[in-house]
Amino acid sequence: MKNAEKLLNTMKEQNIKPIPKWRFTLNRFLIGLAIIISIGIGGLAFSIILFSIQQLGFDLITHMTHSTVEFLLGLLPFIWIILLIIFLVLGMVSIKNSRKGYKLSPARLLAYNTSFSILFGVLFFISGGAQWFEHVFDVNVSSYESVREKKVNMWSMPEKGYLSGTIESITDNSLILRDFSNKRWVIDFKDAKIPAVLDMEEGSEIKLFGQMISKTEFKASELKPWGGNQRFYNGRNGNKKNKD
Amino acid sequence: MAVSKGICESLTDKEIISKSLEQVEYFACLYDRYEPRFQRYIQKISVCSREEANDILQDAFIKIWKNLNNYDDGLKLSSWLYRIVHNETISFCRKKRSYGKSNVVEIDNSNLINLAEEQPDEIDPEEKYFLTHQVLDQLELKYREVLILKFLEKMSYDEISDVLKIPEGTVAIRINRAKKVFIKLADKQNISFIG
Repeated sequence: MKNAEKLLNTMKEQNIKPIPKWRFTLNRFLIGLAIIISIGIGGLAFSIILFSIQQLGFDLITHMTHSTVEFLLGLLPFIWIILLIIFLVLGMVSIKNSRKGYKLSPARLLAYNTSFSILFGVLFFISGGAQWFEHVFDVNVSSYESVREKKVNMWSMPEKGYLSGTIESITDNSLILRDFSNKRWVIDFKDAKIPAVLDMEEGSEIKLFGQMISKTEFKASELKPWGGNQRFYNGRNGNKKNKD
Repeated sequence: MAVSKGICESLTDKEIISKSLEQVEYFACLYDRYEPRFQRYIQKISVCSREEANDILQDAFIKIWKNLNNYDDGLKLSSWLYRIVHNETISFCRKKRSYGKSNVVEIDNSNLINLAEEQPDEIDPEEKYFLTHQVLDQLELKYREVLILKFLEKMSYDEISDVLKIPEGTVAIRINRAKKVFIKLADKQNISFIG
């Protein structure tokens, strides 16, 4: 018996049928979906990393006297960095498993996947989505320390020379500041550097470098605008108002 | 009802596939068309007996039949078929090893001579170089397979990339390395090549 006939007989005896097309289509759809989700979440994570950098800023580093490495580590948005890495890897695996994915070298896979995630992340960040998403995350996840909370903590160390809050009243050389824990401070800003962009008026949120004189007095050497869009935050103290 | 040889020959690969989905007998045309080529390929890649090569080919064609709806038009059909046959052969070799057989393939020189004789006379010297010497079978599988696909099956880098599902750049690097290892092994054994 010819081998071809033997093959046909086996197929008929065992009733072997081709796998239906829809199963392959579904498989391809799921891989495509996995790619989109990976790039989407990777991009989201990247946009929040950008938002963290923008909000926390690194201008403080130049004023730091203690371990800069330790300080930097404290600022890094670890959860988002880990999520970004996880979804970049998942994205690479998904693309590799797509129809022509094997044609791409690991370097190209990483480059394409990262580029798409970065592009999506930047667009999301520019559109304000990162701040909104971070806030939603903050409100819904109790153990999450938001970027704003980190920022408030960072700028609430008067003994180390960092203070922040809202201007309550202002005179020629001094102002009254209510910090984010609602404590009042008398700020002497006679010799302070004040950037042109800073609105020196009641209600403005600012951050200050300087020296603590007493428990209620602070001599500023530099004033800066607090920065960041306040529309997602109802309170002054940076706490998760909506959670309670 | 068997399909006649004449009808089979008049059909292209893709026509055979679409007709097979309507009438299973047409699938035999595809088997007949590729049987000699794939049998040779299986024997080269695994150095197994003719009977074993037949079994592997039968299993591979059952897999091809099951996955017929997954064939991507953008891919050369022969590359897709080679991929399945290749994977089936590798999986057969792994199973064979896991049943306690040696990892080292016993080289029977007469097999190699036969293999060389099977090739057409107009074969180029470079092809003969790889064909007629046992060095090829002492290479690691990843090197052996690219050399066989490139120089014996006469495939382009793009086709090898489709068969092995690796990037073209990797194919090129492997072929380069495989050639070097091949020459080194041959030198060690004082084998000289003609052509």
